[in-house]
Amino acid sequence: MASQVHSLDDHVSRINRQDKVATGVLTVIVGLVMLLVVAIIAYILVRGGTRALTPGFLTNPSAAEEAPGIVYQLWDSFYMLIVTLVISVPISLGAAIFLVEYAPDNWVTSAAKTAIETLSSLPSIVVGMFGSLFFVVTLGWGISIIAGACALTMFNIPILVRTIQQALEDVPRSQRDAALAMGLTRWETTINVLLPAAMPAIVTGIVLSAGRVFGEAAALIFTSGSAPARLNFANPFNFVSPTCPFNIFRPACSLAVYIWRLTSEPTDGSVEIVWGTATVLLVCVLLFNLLARLLGKFLSRRLTAE
Amino acid sequence: MTDTTPAQAPAAADECLLATKDVTVTYDLTHEALHKTSLSFESGQVTALIGPSGCGKSTFLRCLNLMNREIPKCSVGGQILYHGHDINTPKENLFELRKSIGMVFQQPTPFRKSIRENILFAPKKHGRVRSRSEEDELVETSLRQAALWDEVKDKLKQSAHALSGGQQQRLCIARTLAMKPDVVLYDEPCSALDPISTFAIEETIRSIAESGICEIIVTHNMEQATRVSDRTAFFYVGDMVETGATQQIFSDPHDQRLVDYLTGRFG
Repeated sequence: MASQVHSLDDHVSRINRQDKVATGVLTVIVGLVMLLVVAIIAYILVRGGTRALTPGFLTNPSAAEEAPGIVYQLWDSFYMLIVTLVISVPISLGAAIFLVEYAPDNWVTSAAKTAIETLSSLPSIVVGMFGSLFFVVTLGWGISIIAGACALTMFNIPILVRTIQQALEDVPRSQRDAALAMGLTRWETTINVLLPAAMPAIVTGIVLSAGRVFGEAAALIFTSGSAPARLNFANPFNFVSPTCPFNIFRPACSLAVYIWRLTSEPTDGSVEIVWGTATVLLVCVLLFNLLARLLGKFLSRRLTAE
Repeated sequence: MTDTTPAQAPAAADECLLATKDVTVTYDLTHEALHKTSLSFESGQVTALIGPSGCGKSTFLRCLNLMNREIPKCSVGGQILYHGHDINTPKENLFELRKSIGMVFQQPTPFRKSIRENILFAPKKHGRVRSRSEEDELVETSLRQAALWDEVKDKLKQSAHALSGGQQQRLCIARTLAMKPDVVLYDEPCSALDPISTFAIEETIRSIAESGICEIIVTHNMEQATRVSDRTAFFYVGDMVETGATQQIFSDPHDQRLVDYLTGRFG
């Protein structure tokens, strides 16, 4: 009896020890990952922070004599992002709705799903090459924002389709059944019941994918170009002018491409500009992530408690 | 069976509102989950479908508003006569049909909308309400029928998800009634609820029957069947074994399988 109690105590203390060791190891691993992230962010912020905060850096063109800035690159990045989202969100939404709600369970559907997944693992430089051959040369769009946005669309679509598909599938089956049992068509059910219920997750997914698109460089080098743009904000509605900020057929240089260009062809003082640009890019991506969380939370509260 | 329906609608006096003839259900093309089942249901009557899990009672219920059509590779044979007209045909407009045969599910399924919008959602889609006053009236009468009005009348604009489980289920009943159906199907409506909410739902089901609506309820709970139903049908492994007035089924069962089920030898 006494030895039994003794061995039980042994067992318990051994288990507790193992538990402590395992938890300790996992904590260290997570700690290392966090350290890595924080270190990278902190390093970039420290190297580029002062430059990014220099007056004029966010408001001057890069060709300015005094205090060259990145305003055109910043504009081009956002503008290209918006064009990309305008193209990719409707396509992805349609594809996801079709796959979840309508697609029959056969080999065509599974081939489509595989194709989408393959698209998501294509190297971005390959997407860029394809974009340059197809959009720029074959379609004759030239090096342009629209060609860049189409290339970005190609690898934004798989991510978006997957997130939207997941969001729709996460809506409980009972919601769908309840709507159908009230005599609504599948389409009415999707639009009025499923989409509102999935909206917070969809919006979060879109904003997160925007962060990825925003920082993309390789796919853009051959499609939207790397030449610093010269924009004329004074006359923004002359859409055919190459200096019109809204002209989608003019070349553009995004923040990430600008970093690549300055690094591969350094000039006097370009190192500082690179770090400053990297800081701005990083802050934008962080803001996208923050926005995704806030928007998701806000929407789900709004949609459930209204 | 007329003796059990004191408040029978005159229109259904000569023929049943809803009847099935030799209905069979096959899943995955080979597995027959329900063998030839013939039952009839009348206005103002509550019918309970009882039996052990997997006996085909829910499958049968889902035939009645053609919800089985939503399941891939599921086929339904036989005739389902609704107002004397066979609805089990490919040509039947299920969206029209489901407006008059409502369904309440096991889990409460309020939409992510306000209480008011939950009620008005389908009627609005079907263009049944035109003015604000019509909307208000429909919301109030539906909620009153489901005995929920007094509890929620001051918070119609609040989210339906903020209600308790039992209230959500009564909201789903109200939502179904807002379509003015003549048949309401319940698929184990109380299995996710506490006893007090269950009691409230049972009261609601009885009072709805008194307004002349035909109700069919699948339940695991035999006491519930005795409390709410006029007639009972017992299902066992895909067969409808015995049917009759509820009192008779529970006090004087004939089939040995029903006797065993009632005495708790399996189930």
